[in-house]
Amino acid sequence: MTTVSVGARPFFGRRATRNPLVIGLLRHALLIGVLIVMLYPVVWMVAASFRPSAEVMNSLGLFSKNYTLDNYKHGWSAGQLNFSRYFLNSIAITALSIVGNLVSCSLTAYAFARLEFPFKRILFGVLLATMLLPYHVTLVPQYILFNELAWMNTYLPLVVPKWLGVEAFFVFLMVQFIRTLPRELDDAARIDGCGHWRTFSRIIMPLALPALGTTALFTFIASWNDFLGPLLYLNRPEQWTVSLGLNSFLDVTGESAYGSLFAMSTLALAPIVGFFLGAQKLLIEGVATTGLK
Amino acid sequence: MKNTRTGREGLTAYLFLSPWLLGIVLLTIGPMLYSAYLAFTSYDLLSAPRWIGLDNFRRMFTADPRYLSSVKVTLLYVGVSVPLLLVVSMILALLLNKGIKFLSGYRALFYLPSLMGASVAIAVLWRQIFGSTGLVNQVLALFGITHGSWVGSPGTALWTIVTLNLWAFGATMIIFLAGLRQVPAELHEAAAVDGAGPIRRFFSVTLPLMTPLIFFNLLLDTIHAFQAFTGAFVVSRGSGGPADSTLFYTLYLYQQGFAELKMGYASAMAWALVVVLGLFTGFLFLTAKRWVYYGDER
Amino acid sequence: MKRTRTAALATAALLVVAGCNGTSVGDTAGGDTPGQDGKGDITGSLQLTFWGGANRAAKTNAVADMFIKAHAGVTIDRQNADFGNYFNKLNIQASSKTLPCVMQLQGRQLNDYTKRKVLLPLDPMIESGAIKVDDIPKEVVDTGRGPDGKLYFLPYGAAYDAVGVNETLAQQAGIGLPPDGYDWKKYTDWIASAKGKLPGGVFTSGSRGGVPNYFIAYQLANGKQLFTDDGKLGFTKESLVEYWEMWEKLRKDGVTMGADAQADEPEGAEQNFIAQGRVMTDSMPGNALTPASATLAGKAGGQKLTTLPMPSGPSGSGNAIFTSGFAIPTNCDNVPTAAAFIDFFTNDLEAGKSFKSDNGAATNQKVLQAQIDDPALTALKKHELELYAEIVAKKPPTILYPPGYQATFESAYTRAYEEIAFGKKTVQQAADSFFTEANAGLGG
Repeated sequence: MTTVSVGARPFFGRRATRNPLVIGLLRHALLIGVLIVMLYPVVWMVAASFRPSAEVMNSLGLFSKNYTLDNYKHGWSAGQLNFSRYFLNSIAITALSIVGNLVSCSLTAYAFARLEFPFKRILFGVLLATMLLPYHVTLVPQYILFNELAWMNTYLPLVVPKWLGVEAFFVFLMVQFIRTLPRELDDAARIDGCGHWRTFSRIIMPLALPALGTTALFTFIASWNDFLGPLLYLNRPEQWTVSLGLNSFLDVTGESAYGSLFAMSTLALAPIVGFFLGAQKLLIEGVATTGLK
Repeated sequence: MKNTRTGREGLTAYLFLSPWLLGIVLLTIGPMLYSAYLAFTSYDLLSAPRWIGLDNFRRMFTADPRYLSSVKVTLLYVGVSVPLLLVVSMILALLLNKGIKFLSGYRALFYLPSLMGASVAIAVLWRQIFGSTGLVNQVLALFGITHGSWVGSPGTALWTIVTLNLWAFGATMIIFLAGLRQVPAELHEAAAVDGAGPIRRFFSVTLPLMTPLIFFNLLLDTIHAFQAFTGAFVVSRGSGGPADSTLFYTLYLYQQGFAELKMGYASAMAWALVVVLGLFTGFLFLTAKRWVYYGDER
Repeated sequence: MKRTRTAALATAALLVVAGCNGTSVGDTAGGDTPGQDGKGDITGSLQLTFWGGANRAAKTNAVADMFIKAHAGVTIDRQNADFGNYFNKLNIQASSKTLPCVMQLQGRQLNDYTKRKVLLPLDPMIESGAIKVDDIPKEVVDTGRGPDGKLYFLPYGAAYDAVGVNETLAQQAGIGLPPDGYDWKKYTDWIASAKGKLPGGVFTSGSRGGVPNYFIAYQLANGKQLFTDDGKLGFTKESLVEYWEMWEKLRKDGVTMGADAQADEPEGAEQNFIAQGRVMTDSMPGNALTPASATLAGKAGGQKLTTLPMPSGPSGSGNAIFTSGFAIPTNCDNVPTAAAFIDFFTNDLEAGKSFKSDNGAATNQKVLQAQIDDPALTALKKHELELYAEIVAKKPPTILYPPGYQATFESAYTRAYEEIAFGKKTVQQAADSFFTEANAGLGG
């Protein structure tokens, strides 16, 4: 804590005389300006999803005289089954992945951030090293491995790695978060008679909620959008995920259905946006108000 | 006191680590080592790998001009996109931290592009925006500026991918935001009572507390930039074109491994990258002692 | 540190012992596994994999369901993905010997697989009568042969490339269509004659020196060989230079589109430039006529599109056919059912009618004729099928694509022309480096 120069006295620091209303307006104007530029592609996709299929690709604009819901109707029932099944499958895989990542990564991160143990530095090096290898070259050995384990056509290859903390990114992220929390907390807990498990579950985890929220959110996005994993490991249509369903609208060797693609892509965004809105209320904002003592 | 504790603490630690250790042993180490072995072989996926020693590495540096050009493209990309991404994310995280109306709405909207992933919609859109008759050129035309295609010219295609990466800055921003949330309000109040203005408070309170996450984002964004794949893959449809101007390292690796069925060579490329990234990571950790402040240090 | 290394090595050794070390997939090829002549019980489960989107999946599924109905006790797992991902998955499956029993291939990649002995020859199954080829023209069947002359996939659909012409634009320019039996000179002159006569933002043609299939048509029309028997480039550097210079002249004279605009072109029959009405003529897959016309119809003015055979030359038509068909991998444990399915998919009249030539025209002549005679067939689709019939009636040459064709030849070819068009290399330099790169990567 000593490194944070909180107590340093400023010289004469009364510069907050500017009109807060003007500053507020300027901030909003800046944000909205950036947003318009940034969101145009997203808005375009949503608008295109409501245009008749012949007009989908034809215009950079947003408007059409003939808005229709056809793309949604056709898109929903495309493929060997339909999107209600794909959504359920994606939700199941994503939920299992999130819980798995939260449990395994937080346990691992606590050990690396707070505990002393033999080979700590080497293991931390191993943890980091697993992030450095491009995944393309482990794809084949991993496939061979999962095939040997007879995990084909199950959700295991997509979910088990999350429960075993294979994604070092999240472990490292949580380590960094936990290390911003002052050690005094642990000491206080220990004086109160808490063991490591209780320190972890009662003190550190509640304070690391933003980290958990971030992990949950990123895992949601990654699992939800994952295409390669389901492509390789799920061969039966009844196991298909949303991303596989979306891919089936495309065909460079035949006819693609861009209207349906955009319609279903728009729907596929909805759960992530919903999760994001929920998660940020609960997790990102929650802590700041309680603060930490 | 410390010594008597370490034994038991070590045991506890390994209990906490057990899922991860199991994962490393069962799922991670095997495939990693196997790919390391493949780096010294000629392996076409369809038949058994054949040991060829250092030939892959020799070819990489002496007989493959496309490899060297992919290294150049990647370094340029890393150098430009990482600093840009960090600065923009930090600025927006600060803007969106607190004290502004419709906060959660703004955040969600800014985050929206990052949620879209590498969808095909992006591939189509990027061409519509940066194509010769695209949105950008239509806007430029209003000012009497004419320009050819941005995605289609070797001179500018890379910059459209830098833009694409920047467009999805949400992940980096969210981590900064979450970090800002952990800055104890008391510290800010104390500093404010002491008369520190917002800028001074940022540099003396916020920034030091944020260093672990700046460190994290710097390291991870750099690793990701070196491994950048999706943007170029989507925009160039896997070719790395026009004229190899967006041939990222990992994209070339992918082409070699999966299109040309040279998985041995691809593995060698991957491990060469691991060495570079390992050196970079090690270097960053060495410097970290000078500028990263952890709350747990006493 | 040392200890971790030992442990790591031990793990690696374990992996090898555990058989993770990908023993050659081809090891069992040529063995006398029962059922290699396709005779046996048609029952049990079958895995089927093909490329394509939801539309094609629906049609393929309909056929698979018809097959199941006809053969009690058969179940079929179906997998599909878009073209690029399809092959990634296939190659990964090959690495662990889990290739699906019925896998779709094209002539372009066939020899990547025959070279590694991953596929069963179908000839014994033809001899035993499990698979029939009686109603398929010989030239078409031959596109499924490997360098050893054996048949490795049974072509069910034949695609061809054609010259697409936006008739409306050509009429506006007052030049009509190229004359019957036109050659490359007449074609390029015809393109040049439209210069300045088209609406703003519309080009006569793309700058198309980088399209491999166009070049193949040029070489075939001139009676040149494409590949040597050992899988290297079979044409001369001069002919490549001559071809590229033909396109470069058009581009430099401002007749065709610039290089950067060309590089912008979206992929896919629904949205590329000819479908958007941005060019008057372009090479296009024959079966792209229907989807491209649909997009074009959405444009103001309702422009009309048609397809012509490729330009001719001293050796006649430059049209080649590109077939897709099903192969059986050596790791298949249900060859009789796989053979029966392939035969059914290709030769059954009802199956063919229901599949509607979705991936190239039906190779089975009876199936094809039944579709052409169907009064419900759209005019565009009819044109597609009739042009195919016209091409195949002229006995097109069969191209034996060497291993590495798609990965090396196609990508290197496209890249080499890009380097010319962007002024990075002269035509001669690009031809030199293309020859070096292609010959290093092909065959062998």
